[in-house]
Amino acid sequence: MKRSRAVSLGILGAAAFGLAACQTEEQTDAAAFSDEQSCVAAAAQSGWFTREDCAATFAEAKAVHEETAPRYESQALCEEEHGAGACGGDPAAASGGGGGSIFMPLLAGYLIGQALGGGRAMAQPVVPKAGGGFATPTGGTQLSRLNSTGKMGTTAFAKGPTTAGQPPMSRAAVASRGGFGGSAATRSVGS
Amino acid sequence: MDRIQLPERPDWRAKAAELGFTFADMHGEPYWDETSAYAFTLEEVEGRIEDPCTELHAMCREAVGTVLADEALMERMGLPRLRWDFIKDSWEAGEPEVYGRFDLAYDGKGPAKMLEYNADTPTSLYESASFQWLWYEDQLAARVLAEGSDQFNRLHEALVERFAEIFPPDTDLHFAAMSGAPEDYATVETMAWAAREAGMGAHYTDLEKIGISDEGQFTDAEDRVIGTLFKLYPWEDLFADEFSAHLASAQCRFIEPPWKALVSNKAILPVLWQLFPGHPNLLPSFFADDTKGLADAAHLMLAGHVTKPIFSREGASVTITAQGRVLERATNRDYDRHPMIVQAYQPLPVMGGMRPVIGAWVVGETCVGMGLREDRALITQDLSRFKPHFIEG
Repeated sequence: MKRSRAVSLGILGAAAFGLAACQTEEQTDAAAFSDEQSCVAAAAQSGWFTREDCAATFAEAKAVHEETAPRYESQALCEEEHGAGACGGDPAAASGGGGGSIFMPLLAGYLIGQALGGGRAMAQPVVPKAGGGFATPTGGTQLSRLNSTGKMGTTAFAKGPTTAGQPPMSRAAVASRGGFGGSAATRSVGS
Repeated sequence: MDRIQLPERPDWRAKAAELGFTFADMHGEPYWDETSAYAFTLEEVEGRIEDPCTELHAMCREAVGTVLADEALMERMGLPRLRWDFIKDSWEAGEPEVYGRFDLAYDGKGPAKMLEYNADTPTSLYESASFQWLWYEDQLAARVLAEGSDQFNRLHEALVERFAEIFPPDTDLHFAAMSGAPEDYATVETMAWAAREAGMGAHYTDLEKIGISDEGQFTDAEDRVIGTLFKLYPWEDLFADEFSAHLASAQCRFIEPPWKALVSNKAILPVLWQLFPGHPNLLPSFFADDTKGLADAAHLMLAGHVTKPIFSREGASVTITAQGRVLERATNRDYDRHPMIVQAYQPLPVMGGMRPVIGAWVVGETCVGMGLREDRALITQDLSRFKPHFIEG
């Protein structure tokens, strides 16, 4: 036989094609808490995390927040992204004595997720968003509220980038856009 | 090779609409046309199309090595000298190719002749790999086509295998096309599905929305760094764009790789003729200013000659001349400013009043399928129709 046994048949369009990727992502049990106490209070009813998991993941979320929370050069810029009163100075920059001020969103809470295949529960900090709601430091996962449980894609727990030497698919500061496409001779450029 | 009238599937327009094949009609004319189909024998497909195109691809690879080693030939390619190292590095690093489409003149009698190689940004992938396949399966089920018949169309499977072969599992790949061109987008999404099936993370971004990060890496519409970019946008245009200075330093791998800028370039045609003179699947070809070469080859061009710009899409700026008379001149002259090559005129066969061109698909280094387009005009342009084919049982 000189033909494929099966092919993909439909064209979804750009927006739906992106969503189709999310649907194929592995889902896991997850919960969002504003602090360790709320987590501990929920641990009793949970089948998959314990009080000890609450403590360990909260400590981890705090550390990850310090390492990966987005940094801004001014309080105003930070509050534009994260809301009024939601930002503070970067403690690492203050202790380093670099002189310049760096601002970052405050830790609003954290996500705890069941590790697929067992192992330690996963942790991810969340920060406030301007206009309401919460997001992981990369902005990749957004939550409308804390103290809730549900299913969540495992990539929500992927640690965000620190700063330099960014790997593919990390979020980067974009200096400019639109530098490709100017030379297209006709509407359709394929052949 | 034969052109056979067949009943259309009664519901094909509804199917096309449901599947998102929005350009089945274009410019008020049918683009997908299944009122007839092209029939081939298995020997014909294998001996006249498949094996020759695998060989032609290998010849093109050899020509790339020749061009890169010869500064005078590199000059002929019309690409900015600033990007030569970038092109050469991709070849020396062995960056793998994914796909390309040979356009062939074939009349069912003599050998197929290579008109050109769309090795960088070929389109019509969706209608070739997917909708044509569905047509065949439907017509087989409806007994319009006989048991034991077949179609030369391993395109989708071959693409899945190719992605799995050249990228580690879960590699994030970005797929980009210019927005607002549904036929380009369809090719890109078809490609991206194959990558996803191969276990890759496939993401789409409009080409115009690509940004450059503070670290000099390309980013998609959502500011995510692009590690590998499939771009349905010609290399010669990328080289002329504002971001071209970042191409080499962006730590980005490209599909097709930069060296394909030499293969999709019609300046490769005279180089192939120099390397493989008299090859049965090549047409005599010369640089337009090679007056001696052209004079010596006058006896090879008795049927006339075709003047083509080294960069051109959809027949633009092509002129066919015979006995000193212009037979046909493309109305779209967008590419007139580019250097020209001259190729011996190989008239397309006329079947049912139409002139078919065979598009033979190469995935990796192997010919894996085909699709046909036909046009009333001598030059196959963007109003041509896509036609399904089958192999007789």
